[in-house]
Amino acid sequence: MTQTIKSEPFILNIGPQHPSTHGVFRIKATVDGEKVIEAEMVMGYLHRSMEKLAEERTYTQNIPFTDRTDYLSSMSNNLGYCLAVEKLASIEVPARGNAIRVIMSELQRLASHCMAIGAFANDTGAWQTPVMWAFREREKILDIFEVTSGARLTCNYMRIGGVAFDLRPQFEPMVRKVLNDFPPFLQEMEDLLSGNEIFLSRTRGVGVLSPEMATNASLSGPMLRGSGVAWDLRKADPYCGYEQYDFDIPIGYQGDSFDRFIVRLEEMRQSLHIIQQALDGLPSGPHSTQVPLALRPPKGEAYARIESPRGELGYYLVSDEGPAPYRFHIRPPSFINLSALREMTVGGTVADAIVVLGSIDIVVGEIDR
Amino acid sequence: MSIPVLALATDHWYDLRDLANISDAILDGADKVLPFGIVYVLAALIGFVASFLIFVLPSQLYLGVYGERKIIGRIQSRYGPNRVGPFGLLQPIADAVKLLTKEALTPKESDRAVMYVAPIIFVMPAVLIFAVIPFGPRMVFANVPVSLLYFMAISSLPVIATFMAGWSANNKYSLFGAMRIVAMAISYEVPLVMALLGAVVVTSGAPYAGDFLNGLALQDMVLWSREFHIWVVFVQPLALVIYFICVSAELNRTPTDIAEAESEIVAGYLTEYSGMKWGLFYGMDIGYALGASAFAATVFLGGWTFFGLEKWVPPWMIFIGKTHLFYFLFIWTRGTLPRLRSDQLMAFAWKFLLPLALFNIFLVATERMIWSSQDYAKGLIYVFAVVNIAVSIAAVYGWARFLGYRPENTPVRPRLVKNAGGYIPVGSEANR
Amino acid sequence: MDGGGIVFAFYVLAAVTLISAAGVLVSRDLLHAVLFLILTFVGVAGLFVLLSADFIAMAQVIIYVGAIAVLILFAVLLTPRAGRNNGETKFALPGILLAVCLAAVFLFVIHDVAWTTNDEAPVLGADQLGEALLTTWVLPFEIASVLLTAALVGAIMLARTPQEEAEDALA
Repeated sequence: MTQTIKSEPFILNIGPQHPSTHGVFRIKATVDGEKVIEAEMVMGYLHRSMEKLAEERTYTQNIPFTDRTDYLSSMSNNLGYCLAVEKLASIEVPARGNAIRVIMSELQRLASHCMAIGAFANDTGAWQTPVMWAFREREKILDIFEVTSGARLTCNYMRIGGVAFDLRPQFEPMVRKVLNDFPPFLQEMEDLLSGNEIFLSRTRGVGVLSPEMATNASLSGPMLRGSGVAWDLRKADPYCGYEQYDFDIPIGYQGDSFDRFIVRLEEMRQSLHIIQQALDGLPSGPHSTQVPLALRPPKGEAYARIESPRGELGYYLVSDEGPAPYRFHIRPPSFINLSALREMTVGGTVADAIVVLGSIDIVVGEIDR
Repeated sequence: MSIPVLALATDHWYDLRDLANISDAILDGADKVLPFGIVYVLAALIGFVASFLIFVLPSQLYLGVYGERKIIGRIQSRYGPNRVGPFGLLQPIADAVKLLTKEALTPKESDRAVMYVAPIIFVMPAVLIFAVIPFGPRMVFANVPVSLLYFMAISSLPVIATFMAGWSANNKYSLFGAMRIVAMAISYEVPLVMALLGAVVVTSGAPYAGDFLNGLALQDMVLWSREFHIWVVFVQPLALVIYFICVSAELNRTPTDIAEAESEIVAGYLTEYSGMKWGLFYGMDIGYALGASAFAATVFLGGWTFFGLEKWVPPWMIFIGKTHLFYFLFIWTRGTLPRLRSDQLMAFAWKFLLPLALFNIFLVATERMIWSSQDYAKGLIYVFAVVNIAVSIAAVYGWARFLGYRPENTPVRPRLVKNAGGYIPVGSEANR
Repeated sequence: MDGGGIVFAFYVLAAVTLISAAGVLVSRDLLHAVLFLILTFVGVAGLFVLLSADFIAMAQVIIYVGAIAVLILFAVLLTPRAGRNNGETKFALPGILLAVCLAAVFLFVIHDVAWTTNDEAPVLGADQLGEALLTTWVLPFEIASVLLTAALVGAIMLARTPQEEAEDALA
């Protein structure tokens, strides 16, 4: 049989306005029927020129900018930036400040992963239920942020040398409640999704990323761990005293979307464990060191990196002894993780592409900055 | 159709247990004063108004729109509509007004005529389905002897309307929706018919009041349940499961809503529709789901019978209750399950449902032979019910295992390691 | 009067069938032609109902509208440039000639046959039909099913890609 039925590939623009692109982001997919044969990422719809703007503002004034890069984990972004400035200006953070930072960034990880797994389940077609359940729990964490920093989403809580305010008296009972409520919720999500044959068939073997590919593309966070690479900056390059806490690194089996999902679920359990330890051993003392308002760090450069919910979040600063950074650069984990999208989507169907995109857990504010 | 339907209620016009009484009284009175021919029109009008008042309005508006949103809201741990009117009860009306006043856009490059006609064609079968559904002993608009086939025929029409909608909009996402729904309709029609065949084989030819029941007529199926004091679902559990899955696939309900999969192809064939044109699709989706539920309640759940309770409770209330119970299953699955990919859905129909449906027919045909050789002994059907339930569960599980269903091989927890390092192959994480 | 309604319905259905059949011929858009064809099928089903052949009417809708028309739609989707006009073809003249000849034959047959009328309504239930198909006409029935199966297998063979065949050859 020499003659075959020919089909015409056509270009399908997934996004920028599409329910599953998690913001304004576009995949220019060439499809043959339902099969994706080429995928091109188009980004920049949310570009706000943060890196350039930051060169015009003082070091303290830049903290609110970092809230707005990855708006789903503002605490982690604050932390990464503050660590970079502290490294640049050699500022020591008191023990209590570090413990509060750890609690906050782990709470932020919980909140962000809630959003990630909820949206991911939504992308597989579980109509809103997992996302609503996740939001119900995320709300409790956002309440804690509101009590502590005054804001729910863009907290602007970390400061150079510590944190902005000390903890309120109602903080501890609220966190204890979260610690109590989360394990049943995680079990619920596992019952609803991990044991669900439809969910498994949608995610297992979809968007497989080999460990070589993941490391070569310099991916990080759950994307890298899902592929079976044990890498976590909290272990590999500890900051804020993470070396004091006992926790495990969850790693996946074959690097498919389902592995990334279960890695995120398990990371939430580990985060709860860390918060428990940090809260039990919360030192007293000052929450912050005094730092001059118009900080002028000595000439030089610094790169600080943290394990944000999405992976390695790095801040690179160059100082020319002025009140503003000479160069301000962000290494956004979503942006780097997204670079593997083409490898994972080509060959699958359009429906798979959406699932893969959901499993990367992108935040467009961070990609475009 | 020669079987007399036993009247359960008296034939006084005020006897609400059988609403056919009151409509007969009105029509008889009208026949005396009005010229001939008007009564036919009047009968249709009465049927329409009555079914609208007792079924369509409460079910479609309040179960379909309000109830579904409310129940899904509770499933998702939120309130659902609660702003418009007490408990949000006026929400469906507010929705309808909003849709009516919204502009119905038509894209410039679309096939205007087809796009305009598609919602209209979509509505027609949804109304026609209810013509053969028996609401009570005498409350059936058209008691045709092949009403089961009529239902099958009518329910295959909306596919064409959705295809027209998807094709005419000249949108790539709409085209995807159209393509998917056409492929799915072909696949799922087959096991659906096979599943219903099982129910027909059970009921067809059983003796009733000196005559034999016709398994293709819905009213006769109800009479069968009444005669043998058992619902078809207990004898044919597998058929109901297959019917439910197939019908939810054909209706685009959520576990199988690949034609309007919102997270993948925006809204599928509805992408370019807005205003009341969209509203017709939305409303009639619920109408079809209700029609399918009413059909399932009639065929599988014994219709308007409830083991003798129909003598005291109006049969149509029992029937509507059963319909809503079945509809609740649709809502429940919608609130719980993720969506299958289109190729998986096709494979499921052909590899899983079809063999099971064929096996079910084989099973029930064997039993039917035994039953008729035993002179339709009443006790035997209960034995069959027990046997069939056990065999069905075994068949579903066994066939799934045969096709490679191994839940115990699926790790649902990731591996845990203590220290950061490079890639850790599966199996070597214990010593880290 | 019972007959009046049926006669009226007959004319309506006949008009729908004929007009939509003409629509199949004259419409330039392939998809419109298919949609007209579906309408023709529905009209024919209505005519079957008027002949009290309920079962055949329902089978007509299920098979022709529900299955065959959907298959044709599927084929249209797979056709490259399905939206093109199908107006110009060199077969127009032979086609017209053939149609005229066919019409002449039909007219002759209709005119020549001695039509008998049967006052007794024929019983055309599903059970009689099934019995007839599985006893008297069992051979044509089986031959038709074998033919359809062969067509099915052929369609699968046609749709396979060379890669798939190579894979099967290896396995």
